[in-house]
Amino acid sequence: MPFALRTALALLLVASLAGCFRLLPTKGGGMTEFGGPRRVDSADVVLPAGYRIEAVATGLAFPTGVAFDDDGRAYVTEAGYSYGGFSSTPRLLRVESDGRTTEVAVGDNPPWNGVAFYPGSGPGQAGAFFVAGGHERPGQVLRITPDGETTVLVDGLPSLGDHHTNGPAVGPDGWLYFGQGTATNAGVVGLDNFAFGWAQEHPDFHDTPCRDVTLAGLNRTTPNPLTPDEGDRATTGAFVPFGTSTEAGQVIPGALPCSGAVMRVRPDGSGLELVAWGFRNPFGLAFAPDGALYVTENQYDVRGSRPVFGTGDLLWRVEPQPETIPWYGWPDFWGGVPLSEDGFEAPGERAPGTVLQEAPGHPPRPVVVLGVHASANGLDVSREVAFGYEGDAFVAEFGDMAPGTGKVLAPIGYRVVRVDVEAGTVHEFAANKGETNGPASWLGTGGLERPVAVRFSPDGRALYVVDFGVMTIGEQGPEPRPGTGVLWRITLDGGTP
Amino acid sequence: MKPLHVILLAGLLGGVGTGCGTARRGAAVTEPQQQTVQVRLGERVFDATCNGCHPGGTAGIGVALNNKPLPGWLIRFQVRNGVGAMPAFSEEAVSAAELDALVAYLQWLRRLDPRDEALDPSE
Repeated sequence: MPFALRTALALLLVASLAGCFRLLPTKGGGMTEFGGPRRVDSADVVLPAGYRIEAVATGLAFPTGVAFDDDGRAYVTEAGYSYGGFSSTPRLLRVESDGRTTEVAVGDNPPWNGVAFYPGSGPGQAGAFFVAGGHERPGQVLRITPDGETTVLVDGLPSLGDHHTNGPAVGPDGWLYFGQGTATNAGVVGLDNFAFGWAQEHPDFHDTPCRDVTLAGLNRTTPNPLTPDEGDRATTGAFVPFGTSTEAGQVIPGALPCSGAVMRVRPDGSGLELVAWGFRNPFGLAFAPDGALYVTENQYDVRGSRPVFGTGDLLWRVEPQPETIPWYGWPDFWGGVPLSEDGFEAPGERAPGTVLQEAPGHPPRPVVVLGVHASANGLDVSREVAFGYEGDAFVAEFGDMAPGTGKVLAPIGYRVVRVDVEAGTVHEFAANKGETNGPASWLGTGGLERPVAVRFSPDGRALYVVDFGVMTIGEQGPEPRPGTGVLWRITLDGGTP
Repeated sequence: MKPLHVILLAGLLGGVGTGCGTARRGAAVTEPQQQTVQVRLGERVFDATCNGCHPGGTAGIGVALNNKPLPGWLIRFQVRNGVGAMPAFSEEAVSAAELDALVAYLQWLRRLDPRDEALDPSE
């Protein structure tokens, strides 16, 4: 083909790409029909050569985490809640060797978003589970013994909004670390929060910074759902209740506990401390063999009064510095880049602007950028040569919630990725077979649905994957399907742990 | 209609079909290890800069890149100037050497098999 013609065709291709985002319909992985029951078939999942996957337990109701007791037995948390209005009883279940489950404990403040096990110190000193969660009441961290005795360790966490109390993880220092998500998408309470249902139930709730912040005076005006007058309008600033405006120079006092942070307590629940702040929703926490803390962060959505476009989920390496608590950028940065730069304004939407008059610090750069709306959630770090990839982080990607969180051109997430944290590279590790990506319900197969957590077995030879189950997205929003959750196990060379 | 116009029209339609079409390939689960130093650098640049919108080179909020026959100079143009919803990346964000590496990585990515024909790392 002549050079001029090739050039013309290439330019045409670029010209055609320019309008793709506006031209194409949104195509999230949840935008499908599901008649049930869920089919589970490990043959529909592809892994690197030499690895195999099998289903360990099925029929779970929105499982969110897995941990192992002193004897190496697996336990899973069932959330007892899902976006889409599903609410029931959160539970801790022991997974028996034949795949049946035994109820160990039940709660009354869903969702239970994750679980960690604190090993016993010896004979007569059994370990205990730590569970993080809560949304119907303020967030909590619970201690649950293997025989089900439950104690509230931490209470009153700011968990009534969009995001909840997450984690937890046991640090090499013996402290218990957990994440706390923000109330809002980007700092301003808006109509999206009424759509979630919490803003009318808790009209005074809003984000709380961990340290004093000075506002730039950004406000957004919307219809006011709190009054019967359809023409009524409300003006709302950041870090304040819906309908409260702010001014430039206004100082919002910091507090502890706070929104968008990683915090820690001693195993008895005392000594609450701030580890890092400026996160949006720090969902997954895991310590590497070298003692480093890795955190996954769900990034901004294109919704509400301050929509933000094109921000991939992040994996952070958090360096605890008690004397200078690091700030990671929310609500004015993404991955170390200020939202005032080009590229964060969604097509047809207003630019996000700047909330803070002065940034509380210089946010670092993340380890890697993961897919926009992938919902990078639970993670763990390989430490065993018998599994391979020692030192690499494995991250569960729950999958997009389009169109509610923003437009996507294809399903994003629904898989487990491996991150080489030294090189800063991302590699697909467990995903559904086929020429396109998506959850099994979208592909019509028996593979992965929505991976929400991963955890290595105590001997490090098996990676357990917690699959939340089917959640389609209909015209009215999320449509969660209880009883479709699965616990998977991945081993190398077909070995069993 | 002159033959050149027919070709250009077909090219435009083909471009829209190829560029905006939802056709995409899955990412390869296991990648061959024979990456050059430049491709490895390009992979790091991609995962720090592009992976959010084009996860693994597949479609996300951006179109799939692992099935687009764009020449190197056009990739460079697109990165520096932005196209549609994609922002421009300055030399401060992606240096000239990093951009060369990124182009090498994207061209390498196109040659990978899709995910269900993953390559054995020992091959």
